[in-house]
Amino acid sequence: MRRLLPGPVLCAALLTAGPALADHCPWDTLVALPGQLNDGGTAVAYKTNPARIEVGKPFSIEVVACIDDEKHMAPSRIRVDAGMPMHGHGMNYQPSERKIGPGHSSFDGMVFHMPGHWQIMFDVYEGDKRQRLNQKISVKR
Amino acid sequence: MKLSRTACAALLAGAAIVLTGAATAPTTFDDDETALIVSHGPWPVKTDADPSNRVSGKPAAIAYGKTLFESNDLSVDRQRSCATCHQADLAFADGIMRGIGLTRVDRNTPALFNMRLNRWFGRDGKSDSLWAQSIAPILDARELGMTPTTLKTRLATTQTLSDGYRQIFGAAPAAHEAETVMVNVAKSLAAFQETIVSGKSSFDMFRDGLAAEDPAGIAGYPEAARRGLKLFVGKGRCDLCHFGANFTNGEFHDIGLPHFPEPGRVDKGRYGGIQQLRKSRFNLLGPFNDDKLRATAGFTRHVRLTPKNWGEFRVPSLRNAARTAPYMHDGSKATLEDVVDHYSEIPEDRPHQDGEKLLRPLNLTDAEKADLVAFLKTL
Ligand code: HEC
Ligand code: HEC
Ligand SMILES: [Cu+2]
Repeated sequence: MRRLLPGPVLCAALLTAGPALADHCPWDTLVALPGQLNDGGTAVAYKTNPARIEVGKPFSIEVVACIDDEKHMAPSRIRVDAGMPMHGHGMNYQPSERKIGPGHSSFDGMVFHMPGHWQIMFDVYEGDKRQRLNQKISVKR
Repeated sequence: MKLSRTACAALLAGAAIVLTGAATAPTTFDDDETALIVSHGPWPVKTDADPSNRVSGKPAAIAYGKTLFESNDLSVDRQRSCATCHQADLAFADGIMRGIGLTRVDRNTPALFNMRLNRWFGRDGKSDSLWAQSIAPILDARELGMTPTTLKTRLATTQTLSDGYRQIFGAAPAAHEAETVMVNVAKSLAAFQETIVSGKSSFDMFRDGLAAEDPAGIAGYPEAARRGLKLFVGKGRCDLCHFGANFTNGEFHDIGLPHFPEPGRVDKGRYGGIQQLRKSRFNLLGPFNDDKLRATAGFTRHVRLTPKNWGEFRVPSLRNAARTAPYMHDGSKATLEDVVDHYSEIPEDRPHQDGEKLLRPLNLTDAEKADLVAFLKTL
């Protein structure tokens, strides 16, 4: 026998489960940022604050991502992390996200705790589908 | 063609000069090395008052903190103090393998120089401020063995301590909550410890001379130390972790030392440190931070707990290294020679190596080891 769901639950379920209206990403902001990456039409641009990353000092990173560089669609989620591939370790700190708008966030609490070769990983999500774009950065003592 | 006898002798003499010359030629540094060396200064580093501690830098609190630091009234049996383990004439350490309070603790007592430069405190970084770290030994049953209540009673019933407290905190200890009294005591202890700073070392003189391109400034620095310094910033790769003016990145690494204080019991190192930090009421995110903006709490907010933190310990400053034996979190290395042997022969198949791929045996010669030690002794 079928049970009817109460009205409010049904509404809430429809709202969260229904296909989200795809937002546009802020393309004008994206093209203006200093760091630019593109992989198969997925575009990521970033800017660190301060501009020069100092070893051992916290910095934040502003990120704009577009999953389609022609239609300028915003991803459902952006994640940022970093590590030293040659040393086999990540960051000792978990960056926290401050959402600015669709496809536009700032991540605080990044720290590169050793000099040498780092790699920033930008994970751009379209639903469950993840695409990773990498940026190599070298940090001096 | 045949060489004449005199020409031959001249050639040999020349070769001899070249040979001995090579053996005694002063060690020089190229531009890259010079930049790396200069990045270990200038010293001292300028510091501000700690915003999380409203009595930081206040002369009355510094004087009161010194009294507390040396007072046996801070221990349950009135037999010991902070200064029992942190002895002024032993670089504010104790010279023994592991500290002994009411009983023996698991770790080696660290020297207390230049604390204002630390981001984390304790060898596992369980505290994010000097005042929070100063609470731990008061309450630890192996160290001073007090509780907030016994501490408050001690202060209230000891005239000099009670007067000093009132002068700084505006009320008698009896008028405050026990926890508040304890935090105020810890903040005074911190104010005092912040004043323990080390002066310029012979390395600093050399570094300044190098930075200023002043031949007279660098002249007195021993040759062996120069060779050791070259190894330190070169093939030793020591300054991947021991960098900057305080010779540390302030973070945590696993350098392949055992972490069992006794068989069957493990020292979790940084892993346990982060766990304790997070559950402490006295961290910088908690109610006792005097800085309402929480400006210095970012590291605490963002710190990440991962399995690789097992067996990691804080990278110690190498300043005053000659005076801070024995070494490492467990005091297991008696001399700097032992420390350098460890880095030279570090086992590649140690159990915990998933974390750090960067440490590999340096296989130093005896002469290189002696040079590295000679350098460390100039810090
Ligand atoms: C039983 C000996 C002993 C006593 C007593 C003691 N300490 Fe310590 N202290 C240690 C040891 C051992 C450590 C390392 C602890 C760790 O890593 O968890 C330490 C660490 C510290 C640190 C951290 C230093 C750093 O580099 O991170 C500070 C600060 C400190 N003690 C201050 C104090 C104060 C203040 C008191 C008195 C209230 C005190 N200690 C009493 C043994 C002692
Ligand atoms: C991967 C980072 C790393 C590198 C590279 C490194 N160290 Fe260390 N060093 C540490 C850590 C972590 C400790 C503390 C370990 C502990 O307490 O168990 C330490 C401890 C020491 C100590 C003991 C200091 C004390 O007060 O106990 C000395 C001396 C030292 N290192 C010198 C060196 C030299 C010389 C080199 C280069 C040959 C070097 N280190 C390379 C991380 C590093
Ligand atoms: Cu690294």
